[in-house]
Amino acid sequence: MKLTTRYEQTSCRLIVEGLPDLSAGQDASTIGILTGFTMGLAGQTELEGKREHLQALLSAVIPYARHLLSGVPKAFGAADAPVAIAPGETGHQLELRSSQPNTPPLTLRLDDAELSDLVRCLDQLRLDSRLALPFEAPPLLPLARKELRHRQPLLRRIAAPVAGVAALAISAALIAMLPTPKPAAQTAPELAPPAKGG
Amino acid sequence: MAEAPASVQTPLSRRGIERLDLMLLCAEALDLNGGEAMVWLSEEMGFTDLFPNRVELWKRRCSNPLRRNTRRASLKPEETDALIRILTALSERLYPMLRTLLSSAEPAELNAQRWDLFRSRLRELVLERLNPRRGGVQRLLDPEQGPALSRELVQAMALCAGEGGFERLRASLLDAAV
Repeated sequence: MKLTTRYEQTSCRLIVEGLPDLSAGQDASTIGILTGFTMGLAGQTELEGKREHLQALLSAVIPYARHLLSGVPKAFGAADAPVAIAPGETGHQLELRSSQPNTPPLTLRLDDAELSDLVRCLDQLRLDSRLALPFEAPPLLPLARKELRHRQPLLRRIAAPVAGVAALAISAALIAMLPTPKPAAQTAPELAPPAKGG
Repeated sequence: MAEAPASVQTPLSRRGIERLDLMLLCAEALDLNGGEAMVWLSEEMGFTDLFPNRVELWKRRCSNPLRRNTRRASLKPEETDALIRILTALSERLYPMLRTLLSSAEPAELNAQRWDLFRSRLRELVLERLNPRRGGVQRLLDPEQGPALSRELVQAMALCAGEGGFERLRASLLDAAV
């Protein structure tokens, strides 16, 4: 018996079809084997794919949203992956590469609202308890300092160390200009006269 | 409501608390009853042990270093987790408004008016509650930098809406200091 699950936001509709994996002891309402999915995105196109395409979509879009939330947009999706996403001049560019030979990749431009619709649909999918599919989602971790470096403008980032070095150089120059103190004239120590008697 | 994993017990940095409170302030600017909605959601989500009343909830938010009357007491991870959950639930409720503001398909003039209204409400709240001598507050009120910063806050709210946004937002608030 085929099961269908829908996740909908204003500009994104994701329909997942599958079957329960009865051999793994799943109940009849749980999707354990994904047979395919269709996705309507940004009112532009209807996509179809298998589990690996859905996995590629999750692996690219979820970390992209994570970086965007920290204010450091970054491209995700390897050159040979079915899905890649990168920041565009305005909005975001989602590139879908078909596994069919001689089919050029499809590039979709998403605005901020369409991207958040897609992210919400994928969030619902990965948290849905009716799906017993182990999607590999990259862990959502805090970003390290080196990943966030370009969030601050270069001038503000280097202002403190440059000011420190300049202050040191100026004070060193001023101190170097002071005359070196001459050694004080040494006088022979006077010995106390020896005590008499005793 | 799913519980946060017990393994993550890192407290939020000052910058993380600043950003969390600013996003809660945005929720209040988008919804005139946002303050009441926060209290109601806190009770609804079972956080009465952490925030027994609205004053306690308010005191936790005053840990934001940008506040006029800032409190030096640091927040415990379970308290910040609860505030993040309240924010993700508020963002889910306000998602249609957030989406409209971010959409390029909306009529440009109408959306410009919506942004003006949102920014003027946010400005009123910022002037009322935050310390205008702090650099972060001045940037938010600056006519050149302010609009981009408020758009970033609205986009962040849209990306953290709903239960799926909890871990994403918490990870982002725990980012290393730059």
